[in-house]
Amino acid sequence: MKLITHNMLTSKCLKGVVTGYPLAINATDIKVKEVDFNPEFISRVIPKLDWEVLWVAADSIGHSDGLPRSLENKYDENEEFLKKAHKVLLEVEVEEGHLTCPESGRQFPISKGIPNMLLNEAEVQ
Amino acid sequence: MEDDRKHEKKRKRFAARLNTLKGIVCYEDPRPNVILCNVGQATGFDKQKLLKLLTEYKVNTPLPKFVAEKGESYSYLMFDKAENASLFYEACNGKAQVDENGTTLYVTFVENVPDTDIICKHPNPKGLHIIPDFLTEDEEKLFLNTFNIQHVETTLKNRQVKHYGYEFRYGSNDVDLSCPLQEKIPKICKLLWRRLQHYGYDLGVPVQLTVNKYLPGQGIPSHVDKHSPFGETILALSLGSNVVMDWKHHTGKYVPVMVEARSMMIMQDEARYDWQHGIQPRMWDPVLDVRLIDNEKVKVITSDTVQREMRISLTFRWTRCGPCKCEYKMLCDSIERNIPETISNDVASNIEDIHVHQVYEQIAGHFSTTRHKPWPKVVDFMQHVPAGSIVLDLGCGNGKNILNRTDILQVAGERSSGLLEECKGLTARISGADCIRLDLLNTGLKDECADFIICVAVVHHFSTQARRLHSLQTIHRLLRTNGQALITVWAKDQTKSSYLSRTRAPLLDRHKLTVGGIHLPVHENRTQFQHKDLLVPWNLRSKAPPLQQPDTTFLRYYHVFDEGELDQLCRDARLAIVRSFYEEGNWCVVCMKV
Repeated sequence: MKLITHNMLTSKCLKGVVTGYPLAINATDIKVKEVDFNPEFISRVIPKLDWEVLWVAADSIGHSDGLPRSLENKYDENEEFLKKAHKVLLEVEVEEGHLTCPESGRQFPISKGIPNMLLNEAEVQ
Repeated sequence: MEDDRKHEKKRKRFAARLNTLKGIVCYEDPRPNVILCNVGQATGFDKQKLLKLLTEYKVNTPLPKFVAEKGESYSYLMFDKAENASLFYEACNGKAQVDENGTTLYVTFVENVPDTDIICKHPNPKGLHIIPDFLTEDEEKLFLNTFNIQHVETTLKNRQVKHYGYEFRYGSNDVDLSCPLQEKIPKICKLLWRRLQHYGYDLGVPVQLTVNKYLPGQGIPSHVDKHSPFGETILALSLGSNVVMDWKHHTGKYVPVMVEARSMMIMQDEARYDWQHGIQPRMWDPVLDVRLIDNEKVKVITSDTVQREMRISLTFRWTRCGPCKCEYKMLCDSIERNIPETISNDVASNIEDIHVHQVYEQIAGHFSTTRHKPWPKVVDFMQHVPAGSIVLDLGCGNGKNILNRTDILQVAGERSSGLLEECKGLTARISGADCIRLDLLNTGLKDECADFIICVAVVHHFSTQARRLHSLQTIHRLLRTNGQALITVWAKDQTKSSYLSRTRAPLLDRHKLTVGGIHLPVHENRTQFQHKDLLVPWNLRSKAPPLQQPDTTFLRYYHVFDEGELDQLCRDARLAIVRSFYEEGNWCVVCMKV
């Protein structure tokens, strides 16, 4: 699971849960896999994300080094920043661990890099 | 002496070969278990031949257990103690001739014997009675002469069939009472009714007879004789060959039953109404054994096999009118409920669990090998996604629709873990691709997180209108305003696609399956769809031995769409249609959240 994906995950479907966001990450295995850097993509996708949530997530698994907690003006012109954002968004992958709903404590396992968001029909609203 | 030395040398060579090739450790000093080095299932050695051998070479020990693994040219005997194994060794090793070519048997001791037996926990279905030796051998010959059908009367895939009294209609699995056949049940059968009376079954005289002729390798799919057209007793007389009949209960119980030649099988109660029975299409049957385990008689499916011969079965039925009055509702055709209006969400979810989710898990590997190329229209849609977009592929399968692009984020969601693992592997090198295991009805994704969504061949797996609508509402929820989705479903009309086989005619439904009281017809692949809600067979190609893999055909549930049906569903989910089209047997819609 890449952190850009984590930025979109929620446990709001659970019965009794209001926002279910963000999910806490508990990682037992993290890998950093180098992938192609596309600055245009990074600068265009950042406005669609919740940056604060991304930073906290990166920090919680020890990958927030040098990453600003809030976005600076004209970040899209800062190549060094875009490279750091690229790494945190696309290269850091949680291989094993689990996600935890902030309200109910329900855990979602992450195995072989895939978060399992399936719920029983009895658990849903 | 010279001969002895030669045999001893040969025996040791066999033992060494078993060790290097199969890792079997052979011993020189006596133990209760021996290995027959050069005869086994693959050489045609079976229990019958073993018994002959034991008599011929005067081995008077208690009968050893015979273990012959499939495909191997060796086999094992398990004696009660080492002394008896020694007696066998002395009598047969290097001496016994095991076939007409005079092949000499070589024997050596072993410590361990593979345990390949399967213990069958459940007793025979209630109401199933089998009277062995119901006919004498002479009577069997008379019956075989009368009923050995030589030419095909009814075209069935796996066997030859002939009817008397009334024609059994395979389309509806009943008889037409207004159209009796000229040919009545032959007079020779009269002795059966008298004999049944003698055994305490005062059943009267049946009016319909179906004769099935099975050659080795042929079988019959699991079925229950339809409840309402037939009476509470069904009889089956077996001629020619023993066969193992599989009985399956909807609670998951599985019981193999040996049906011997010349036996009469009487099906009543649960066996008649609540169990399905069938015969696997294969050349052989496992040997069933009854053993005493914890003072209880238990049926054991051994690894030993016997060859099948030609078998003829005579199924006798009584006919009746009106709805069935049985107390077993699961397989009963008289409590018909229709998909989609009236079934509960629980039943729908259950159907999808058994006939969608579980099936995809089981066929994932094979399914993935058949899905390489994305459809051109899907590629076209994905290529036009502008840079910086977030795209969801909901129901991504093995990920064949994920493009190798670095300028968009592609999140692949899928319910089947097997397919998702394939997808993870396939997309590992694509920078902006990631995988999530999710369900389209309860998707753990934020509202309005996606610029584009593709949902290819997914919505037709939901079994009610409400659930199909719910899936499109999910797509609506996940899209940003002005975001677009491409949705495709299987079309009922396949006439303009390459799906239809040129040689295969659309048959009547061969059988129906009942899931939780819902009747679902089973589709004949590569023919035009006859129904809106149906089960489509997937034939799994598997290398596993048949015993461990009894079912290789899996049934996937589909709701096939009429023209305009998907468009209406989109509108009901507040998605505006951008364009809709028919492509290779699929209805496709590009829609937008406004």
